Amino acid sequence: MNASIAPRLLAYDMAKSYGATVALEDVSLQLVPGQIHALLGENGAGKSTLVKILSGVTRANRGAMQIEGHPYNPASILDAREAGVATAFQELSLPPNLMVSQALLLPNLRKGPFGLVSQSSCDQAASEILKKYRISDLSPRDEISQLTLAQRQRLEIARAMSHATSLLILDEPTAALTDVNWLFSLVREQTAAGLSVLYISHRLAEVRELCSSATVLRNGRSVADVDLSIASDADIFRMMVGRSEGSVRPAAINNISEMPITLELDHLKGSKLKGVSLKLRKGEILGVAGLEGQGQRELFRALVGLEIINSGTIKVNGVETELKSPRSALEAGLAFIPEERKVDGIFPSLSTAGNVVLPILSRLSKSGLIWPSQENKSASVKAESVELSFRYLDFLISDLSGGNQQKALLARALITEAPTLLLYDPTRGVDVGTKEAIYAAIRAYAENGGAVLLYSSELPELVRLADRCVVIYGGKVFSEFSGDEIQEESLVAALTGHRGDQSVAHNRSVA
Amino acid sequence: MAQAPASAEPSAPENGLLRRLFSSGTGVIALIYVVLYVLFALWDHSALTSGTVVNLANNAAPLAIAAAGETMVVLARGFDLSVAGVISLTNVIMAAYPMEGPDGAAISLLICLAVGGMVGLVNGYLVSVLKLQSIAATLATMIICQGLALVILDAPGGTVSDFVADQLTDVVIGVVPVAGLIILVIVAVWLVFQRTAMGIALYTVGSDEVSAQLSGISVSSTRFIGFVSAGMLYGLAGFMLSAQTATGNPNGGASFLMLTFAAVALGGTSLSGGRGSVVGSILGAGTLMLLQKVLFAGGVSSFYTGIFQGTVLVIAVVFGGLITRLSERRGAR
Repeated sequence: MNASIAPRLLAYDMAKSYGATVALEDVSLQLVPGQIHALLGENGAGKSTLVKILSGVTRANRGAMQIEGHPYNPASILDAREAGVATAFQELSLPPNLMVSQALLLPNLRKGPFGLVSQSSCDQAASEILKKYRISDLSPRDEISQLTLAQRQRLEIARAMSHATSLLILDEPTAALTDVNWLFSLVREQTAAGLSVLYISHRLAEVRELCSSATVLRNGRSVADVDLSIASDADIFRMMVGRSEGSVRPAAINNISEMPITLELDHLKGSKLKGVSLKLRKGEILGVAGLEGQGQRELFRALVGLEIINSGTIKVNGVETELKSPRSALEAGLAFIPEERKVDGIFPSLSTAGNVVLPILSRLSKSGLIWPSQENKSASVKAESVELSFRYLDFLISDLSGGNQQKALLARALITEAPTLLLYDPTRGVDVGTKEAIYAAIRAYAENGGAVLLYSSELPELVRLADRCVVIYGGKVFSEFSGDEIQEESLVAALTGHRGDQSVAHNRSVA
Repeated sequence: MAQAPASAEPSAPENGLLRRLFSSGTGVIALIYVVLYVLFALWDHSALTSGTVVNLANNAAPLAIAAAGETMVVLARGFDLSVAGVISLTNVIMAAYPMEGPDGAAISLLICLAVGGMVGLVNGYLVSVLKLQSIAATLATMIICQGLALVILDAPGGTVSDFVADQLTDVVIGVVPVAGLIILVIVAVWLVFQRTAMGIALYTVGSDEVSAQLSGISVSSTRFIGFVSAGMLYGLAGFMLSAQTATGNPNGGASFLMLTFAAVALGGTSLSGGRGSVVGSILGAGTLMLLQKVLFAGGVSSFYTGIFQGTVLVIAVVFGGLITRLSERRGAR
């Protein structure tokens, strides 16, 4: 690369935290004109936060950015557009009530006489954009709410391209796309004309086909700049995961396969589930891994009746069971800890003890009344098993740290004495000490004969806890690992749809 | 060069006027209005006389205008309770400080608009700048306005200027009620506003705030403008109420609170924002008032009015929901 070319984008020392949660710690990034640069990293590595900062959605706490040597610090999407930076967002940012033409042109709708929005000139401008980006199956008057996901994704990309003059950010642009060649040929044309592209995707084969270089993020830091023509897939996975340390697996219990099956799913299909089958045995911790949006959330929600199941069966202890609500799931013996602790988990206005004993209130009440001392007594038994200090039981749960709230929620699941736990990312956003306590509690629960279905966005956690681990990809169980096969590298490969080592090689040759 | 997958030609969404009317809820409420009017005409032979029409227009005008204002806030996913406060406040101002003659009426009108606009400014500031929940912020401003109204006029009384009371409840060109004319003007302004960038932004903010922001719309200024225009319409509603009652009542606006929301919902506007129209809300208000007349004409005691109003509301909302679902199912691919 020629040193005399000013970088198109230069970002260094970027940091961003949301309250106590550090999303970005130290990220540097550099793009030259005409370059297609990939951003790689696991869930939670900080990719989305960096995209938000670059697009003007949120602002960094520290660090500086430059576009063509000029300071760049966008306060809004419009600021970013002003500097020629536009983003096709992963979560698609097309307001459903609009027509295609309006979505493409907002906020600068074409005006006719008297400053009124002129539908015909909007249509004209929009059809020029649609034509330029070769979207033939949409017309300017189509309503966004009527479009398929793939059509919306193409529209989102076309809109970003129409605004991007210096830097185009594509965040998982192929998630819903059926024909990636459309995107690739457009991106190549645009970059040939000098546009720089920051490309975020978890599909490594695609990244290799399109990009020349990549930055790897891990835990909010940019850990490496990679020349993709040199680095192997295995190298990249290793950089994404980091060195795994301190993840000692306990000796596997060898007779698990003889234990009775407590939960059996057979070809479960729903909106995002494309036929999930799995078996969970007594005394077993079954790990579930999956990248964002592969159906794992829907799987857990389906098990507690929060997601509609179109076909397939759920058997609890060998009996086919209909789980209509979290309550009926609990009656069937499935206790669920939801993902959003603050929203779906705690009752902030109740005491910690009150939160813990909620599921067994009917057992506690004496002639219809419930006494705080009774609550504390019952809660304290389980508080001990999750290492939650007794003095917190009287506090409002909202005054506790996130880690202690999570311990209380685990205690709440344990107090039901349900034989099966469904844990959805139970250690998200908690500190190391709390994690250890939660791991120990989960382990102890399994050793006492409980069955655990555990989804975690942190692979080391699954490596450490799970007796078996299934990887969910595209709404199906993509592959299964057990015992010592559960390694981060193999999980990461499976997460991105790679099957074994041969297929990694295969994908590379395809690329 | 690769082409975008030419998936089957999208079935052209039928953008016919009828479908649009019905899926927005305006068609449903228009139909209900017509049915009620037919009943009215059957039971009361004076229903089609100009006197009755003028009377209906005068009765419905304050609620219709207030509902139009409320719609500006509800469309952007908000609630505005200050409607009751502003109507009370402007009503007592009209009664406590009557100004005679056409000039006086014009100045009074400007004062009402200004008072409403000021309250709207405060609401907009609280909600879009300080990020308070709209229902809490406007509850506060409503209570403040009710309090101010009591300070100005501590008991029902006072007299609205004769010019306002007479001329605004009269007819022009022999047949057209002034109140109806004012509503027509609001409808016209609305139809134009709908086609401005601000009008589109209002719907977009209500339908998906995050997407709206990511599309470059200023969410806070859109909400702000919604609140201010709503406040001014409440001021106008208070002005029209004063013309109709010719006197002041510091609690005059209280009964408007629930009826305004009922009119908005009846008119097919979604209380969670993004869908509906001012025209629907005006028709909704008209329906609520017409229902009273129909029940009276049908010999039903006025004690039953509330029961019927609530029932009609449920029917309209259920019917509107059904139609939306049907049209979505047909459109889904």
